[in-house]
Amino acid sequence: MIGLEKVSKRYPNGHDALKDITLEIETGEMVFLTGHSGAGKSTLIKLIAAIERPTSGTIYVNNHQLGKMRRAAIPYLRRNMGLVFQDHKLLFDRSVMQNVLLPLEIAGFTHHDAHARARAALDKVGLLAREKAYPIALSGGEQQRLCIARAVVSRPALLLADEPTGNLDNEYATDIMLMFKAFHQAGTTIVISTHDQAAIKSGAGRIVHLDHGKIIS
Amino acid sequence: MKTWLTHHLQALRATLTQMLATPFSSLFTLFAIGITLSLPAGMAVMLDNATQVASNLPNPNEISIYMDDNATPADIKKLQTTLSTRTDIAHTQFVDKQTALTQISQQLGLTRLVNELPKNPLPDAWIITPADTDAQHITQLVSTLQKFPHVALVQADYKWSQRLDAILQLGHDLFTLLAGILAVALAAITSNTIRLQISTRHAEIEVSRLIGATDRYIRRPFLYFGALQGLLGGMIAWGVVFVSTQLLTPQVQHLATLYATTFSIQPLSLMQSAALLLISTALGWIGAYFAVSRSLARIEKR
Ligand SMILES: Nc1ncnc2c1ncn2[C@@H]1O[C@H](COP(=O)(O)OP(=O)(O)OP(=O)(O)O)[C@@H](O)[C@H]1O
Ligand SMILES: [Mg+2]
Repeated sequence: MIGLEKVSKRYPNGHDALKDITLEIETGEMVFLTGHSGAGKSTLIKLIAAIERPTSGTIYVNNHQLGKMRRAAIPYLRRNMGLVFQDHKLLFDRSVMQNVLLPLEIAGFTHHDAHARARAALDKVGLLAREKAYPIALSGGEQQRLCIARAVVSRPALLLADEPTGNLDNEYATDIMLMFKAFHQAGTTIVISTHDQAAIKSGAGRIVHLDHGKIIS
Repeated sequence: MKTWLTHHLQALRATLTQMLATPFSSLFTLFAIGITLSLPAGMAVMLDNATQVASNLPNPNEISIYMDDNATPADIKKLQTTLSTRTDIAHTQFVDKQTALTQISQQLGLTRLVNELPKNPLPDAWIITPADTDAQHITQLVSTLQKFPHVALVQADYKWSQRLDAILQLGHDLFTLLAGILAVALAAITSNTIRLQISTRHAEIEVSRLIGATDRYIRRPFLYFGALQGLLGGMIAWGVVFVSTQLLTPQVQHLATLYATTFSIQPLSLMQSAALLLISTALGWIGAYFAVSRSLARIEKR
C-alpha cells in the first residue's frame, strides 16, 4: 500500500526533519508512529499524503509513485485517503454536518446520499446529536472526533491520523482507539501517530519509532 | 454526469448564498457594473439611431442642375443628350418647372397661393446621380456642368454628407475605444470582488484541497459568481438604457414633428441585447478566472 525508499526531507529553513527513511506498509496493516515531539511524525504523514514533497527518495502510495504523478491527479489520490490533521483543520463557519459533508461534496455525491453517509459517520463518532452545532461550540475531544468523522465519511482505503488522541483524557483516547481498531478490522489500512502508551502497548498494530528523523528498530 | 450536475448545482447554490449574505455590497457592485456597461450600450443606441437618421436623409450624392430662365426646349433637349452620353453620370432625371411647382404647392398646401402667382418662379432642373461618389470626382463634375450653356446653378450637397459620415465614423471609433476601456474596467471590478471573497474563504480552499478538491472544483463557485454578477450587471445596464430611451422619446418625437417627419428612438435590438448580456457574462467570468488563478497560485506557494 505504502512504500518509502531512502526518503529524506529537509525544510526550506535547512532543518532535516526526516533522514533516509525506508519503510513498507502493507494493505490492511495498522501502524503506530511514535517518537518525541519534533521527531518527524507529522512530516512523514504529510509526505504520504503528498502535502509535502521529499527532498530525496521515492514514495509509493497505491502503486503510484508520488513524485511522478501529475499535479492534477493528486486530488483523486487524496480522495482515497482519510486525513486526520494534528491541528484539526475544521471549518468554523460551517456546522458539524457541513464539515462532514465537505469531502462527499467534493467527490460529487448527491445531496441525498451524502447526508445519509454523513449521518452514519457522525453516529459512529457519537456526534449525531450535535450535527447542527458549530465547531466552536464543541469541546477539544468533540472537535477531534468530528475530524475523524470527516476523515472516514468517504470510506477511504487508507486512513492517516496525526495524533488523533493528542489532547484527550484517557477515557476518550481509549474510545477513539477502539474506533480505529474497528476501521482496521473492516479492512482499512491505518497509520496513526501517537503518544498514547496504552494504545501502543495493546499490541494491536506494528510500531514504527522515529527519533530525530530516523527510524529506530 | 450526475456528479457533474451535482457539482454545478452546489456551485450555483453557494454563489447565490454568497450574494445574499452581503446584499448591500452585492447590489452596490452590480450597479457599478451596470452603470459602467450602460455607457457603451447607450452610445451604441445613439450611434444606431444617428445612422438611421442619416440614411433617411435625401440621397446626398445627388447633384441638382438648374437652368436659367431663357433656356428653350431645344437647349434642354441638347443638354439632355450631352448628359446621357457622359460616362461619369449614372442617372439623370429631368424635372420641368411646371411639375416642380405643382409638387411644391401640394407638399406645402399652398395651391391657392401658387395659382395666384403671375409667373412660375421655379427653373427647369435636372437631378443627376454621379457614377463616382468621391469628393474629387464630384467637384470635377460640378465645375464641368457649370460651364454648359444655360446652366444657372449646380448644387451638390456632398460636403455636408461627408462631414456627417466623418462624424458618425468618429462616433464608432469612440465607441470602440470606450467599450474596450470599460471592458477592462469591468473585468477589474469582478476580479476585485472575487479576490475579496477568496480572502474570506481561505480556510475553506485550503481544507478542500487537502481532502481532494481539484482546482476546477475550487474555481467553479467563483467563476459562477463572476459570471452571474456580470449577467446581472448587464441586465441593469440594459434597464438603464431602456429607461433612458423611454425618457427621451417624447422630446425626440416633439423635435421630429417640428421637422415635419416622424421618428422614434429605437431601443437596443434583440441581437444587441443578447450581445450585451453575453459579453457582460463573459467578462465577469474572465475577471473571476484571473482572480482565482492568481489567488490559488499564491495559496499554493505557502
Ligand atoms: N514547515 C516547516 N518548516 C520548517 N521546519 C519544520 C516545518 N514543519 C516541521 N518542521 C520541523 O521539522 C521537525 C519535525 O516536525 P514534525 O512536525 O514532523 O514533528 P512531530 O514528530 O510531528 O512532532 P509533534 O509530536 O510535536 O507533532 C521539527 O523539528 C519541526 O520544527
Ligand atoms: Mg506532529
